[in-house]
Amino acid sequence: MNKWWIPAVSALALLNGCASVPQGSIPVVDSGVPVSNSERVSSQRTANNYPQATAQRTAQPRAITEDSGVVVMIPGGGAAVSTPISSQPFTPGPITPGPAAAPITTGSYTPSTTYRAPAPITASGIPSSSGGLAADEQLDGPVLALLTTAQQQQSSGDLNGASSSLERAQRVAPREPQVLYRLAQVRMAQGDAAQAEQFARRGLTFASGRPDLQASLWGLIAQAREKQGDAAGAALARQKAKVSL
Amino acid sequence: MTRTRSPRSRKKPPSGGLRPWLGWALKLSLVGLVVLAGFAMYLDAIVQEKFSGKRWTIPAKVYARPLELFVGQKLSKNDFLTELDALGYRRESAVSGPGVAAVNGNTVDLNTRGFQFYEGAEQAQPVRVRFSGDYVAELSSTNGSKLPVVRLEPLLIGGLYPKNLEDRILINIDQAPPFLLDTLVTVEDRDFYHHFGVSPKSIARAMWVNTSSGQMRQGGSTLTQQLVKNFYLTNERSLSRKLTEAMMALLLELHYDKREILEAYLNEVFVGQDGQRAVHGFGLASQFFFSQPLAELKLHQVALLVGMVKGPSAYNPRRYPERALERRNLVLDLLEQQGVVTAEQVAAAKKMPLGVTKRGSLADSSFPGFLDLVKRQLREDYRDEDLTEEGLRIFTSFDPILQMKSEAAVGETFKRLAGRKGSDEVEAAMVVTNPETGEVQALIGSRVPGFAGFNRALDAVRPIGSLIKPAVYLTALERPSQYTLTSWLSDDPLSIKGADGQIWKPQNYDRRSHGTIFLYQSMMNSYNLGTVRLGQEVGVPNVLKTLARLGVERQFPAFPSMLLGAGALSPMEVATMYQTLANGGFNTPMRGIRSVLTAEGQPLKRYPFQIQQRFDPGSIYLIQNAMQHVMREGTGRSVYNVLPKSLALAGKTGTSNDSRDSWFAGFSQDLLAVVWLGRDDNGKTPFTGATGALQVWTSFMNKADPLPLDMPQPDNIVQAWIDPHTGQGSDASCPGAVQMPYIRGSEPPAGASCGAQAPATGDAVMDWVKGWLN
Repeated sequence: MNKWWIPAVSALALLNGCASVPQGSIPVVDSGVPVSNSERVSSQRTANNYPQATAQRTAQPRAITEDSGVVVMIPGGGAAVSTPISSQPFTPGPITPGPAAAPITTGSYTPSTTYRAPAPITASGIPSSSGGLAADEQLDGPVLALLTTAQQQQSSGDLNGASSSLERAQRVAPREPQVLYRLAQVRMAQGDAAQAEQFARRGLTFASGRPDLQASLWGLIAQAREKQGDAAGAALARQKAKVSL
Repeated sequence: MTRTRSPRSRKKPPSGGLRPWLGWALKLSLVGLVVLAGFAMYLDAIVQEKFSGKRWTIPAKVYARPLELFVGQKLSKNDFLTELDALGYRRESAVSGPGVAAVNGNTVDLNTRGFQFYEGAEQAQPVRVRFSGDYVAELSSTNGSKLPVVRLEPLLIGGLYPKNLEDRILINIDQAPPFLLDTLVTVEDRDFYHHFGVSPKSIARAMWVNTSSGQMRQGGSTLTQQLVKNFYLTNERSLSRKLTEAMMALLLELHYDKREILEAYLNEVFVGQDGQRAVHGFGLASQFFFSQPLAELKLHQVALLVGMVKGPSAYNPRRYPERALERRNLVLDLLEQQGVVTAEQVAAAKKMPLGVTKRGSLADSSFPGFLDLVKRQLREDYRDEDLTEEGLRIFTSFDPILQMKSEAAVGETFKRLAGRKGSDEVEAAMVVTNPETGEVQALIGSRVPGFAGFNRALDAVRPIGSLIKPAVYLTALERPSQYTLTSWLSDDPLSIKGADGQIWKPQNYDRRSHGTIFLYQSMMNSYNLGTVRLGQEVGVPNVLKTLARLGVERQFPAFPSMLLGAGALSPMEVATMYQTLANGGFNTPMRGIRSVLTAEGQPLKRYPFQIQQRFDPGSIYLIQNAMQHVMREGTGRSVYNVLPKSLALAGKTGTSNDSRDSWFAGFSQDLLAVVWLGRDDNGKTPFTGATGALQVWTSFMNKADPLPLDMPQPDNIVQAWIDPHTGQGSDASCPGAVQMPYIRGSEPPAGASCGAQAPATGDAVMDWVKGWLN
């Protein structure tokens, strides 16, 4: 009768026990972060903490500026010499039409042995002094701004960000060879020599009448080919770089 | 129950006397209390587990491309305003903050909202855009300083939903707009800040109201109880559920503070149904009904959303606008009564329209075809759970303006051609890409906009007919020592003996032979006999190799009928093929996705731009020239009935046997579009490539207003004057002489000058075309 408090106290102790999380300390973790427009910007990030999902961040940007002494990294690179564009899945007949299996060089394809590859010409009559990479200041506002952003991202080691900004610039000015040149450079820094070469080649198709820029593009192609184990192709490209200048 | 609340009650002595029956009652109730305590512990575990863990799974959000602004950009003011409307910018006379735009003649002032992109944050900023014609002429900050480039925030075009189809945009309580919390508390639970989870006062009031009116008119649930109900319990209506709900509400209040509970409520509340998708939380509701971020909502919008909580379907402002308006105004009155807002504010808010976006407007359309493409590309890299639960943000190349224009082109063309017998059963698919970047910008999988079913752009694999022909002629033009655009080609009848001994006798569409013609003329008029002859000369396997180099991965047998397009491709595969033709011989894998960010805005994955040179630019230059002849004088020439002559375009018609498939693929400098028309049951249609697909294509290009095709002339190309009848070298001074491009060295020797006289009429060569041809 007067032991009523025994079950009461034990019950209360139980209840108190289950209420043991002190008020105010909230063990809440949200999976998502707010994504309404005003908030999205607030989730800033530093340039260096990318989860490296796709990139092979193998080389620092500066590593590739050295022309000589680039280590050929492709296994079996010696074999690749005979097929200069081995990175291409297609090495069909018409591209190498002549019996001379000379390494293919872009820009001035030799579609048939009977046609001599023309020397780079300043076809459109644009004075050659306007070509070249030192002419960044001649670019349009948006392209210049985006190339500058990409440059900053690259020098802080954010190659993916630089790549992304350059692709943005390429959408704004799809036929600006300087953008393609920078894209090729960044691909090179990312360790993707095959794509570096492709972008440089694309740049060449838009670089008519800009010998300085052509020389730089050929120089980059030479580096890219070297990296892919194509010494002969690299030598040829270096030759082209000299002719362009 | 209240004993669980406060330890103080422990010390309270039991009231009442000492009579034995009372003691028994006490003992019984103590036993009950112990049982209850056990139940409470069980509930407490549930409450804490779910509330402290990952509260919600968030479907991946898919965004359109952000609109970039820069001086010299081709963008009409109308298209720009369409985009701003879709993004929910309010039009005001002066810009007062993010999400507001003011239009003044050719100038638009706006304040962007800012956004976290892959490569960095775009800050919210005030911007002035001046248009001149269809171009951006000036871009500056409103203080006058020039801006090189500005990005708007991207339009949210959809999500990747799990099976339960719950969707939400998570918000912080700090993002709640003014009045939202006060309105919510005023309307739903006036004692929220004072009760412990349940409110005896409101229960009493509800009982009073309900008994006096004789029906269930008011519920006594607190916000906490509502949250518990939605969060933990089923919709069952019973006393035991009600009691469980009350206990859980008390437990929730015990562990978490009011703001925490309110924030969860803001994100959990159900506010509407969008087809199969359940719209949860005010964050998504704000986007769903107003296309605006929650923080930007004004009093009248807040009142509407809060008013809808009582009955999301009954007060659906799109379906029952009058009822919703009445409810909104009732909420506003209540706010005034309770002194939350002033009478003036209420009067002003009541004057506002509901302001919900219209169905069918850009902001309120769904694009299942494109989302399907995005999903397929994502599935190669992510598990389904990652896509439906982790709140990933997917950035795509989707251009909503081009999508609306392609949908309009399809709709209007079908309307115009409705008179043709059998056109009702004809379906449509369309792929729009940017040839210079390889990005997919718009996609139509059905002639019914927004239809989420069979995606014909990706899955309708149909014979491509004459769309194959550029591959045949390109194979020849890659051998400049043998073939030029002005090589002679016989269109005489021929028969081919197949490996099985069968004789194949191809026919021209007009069932006539056209004698000996120039190679480019056979291409532009889509002559079958000339094409088969040429294809046999260069070899079917080589043509198939060319096709593969153009980017077609599908394998085909080397039958002669392949030369006339017996092989079947999807519109997307055709787009890949023509992309290589349009982009100077550089192939690029089609991309719909640019990058993926995590829910926290961290970069996760990029889909980089990749190219690969597959052809000599010189031979591509030649085939583009032939494809421009198709448009100027050949089977595609009806395009210039609508489009200006100054717009250089290249393309090719395609029609399969018995007009079962009507194709057109073509491009300008900056826009490539592939259109397919045909029936799902593969029956006959009333359309050829020219009378069907080309009409859609033309209508689309007319709306999209692209840049003229302008491939830079490769170094190995020379332009030569020729006599249009003989193909012999001529001179600029000769009457009728025309210019043709050749790979250097393959041009005919230059002819003698005809003196100083200016060339007279020069259209003799253009008389080859008669009637609608394939």
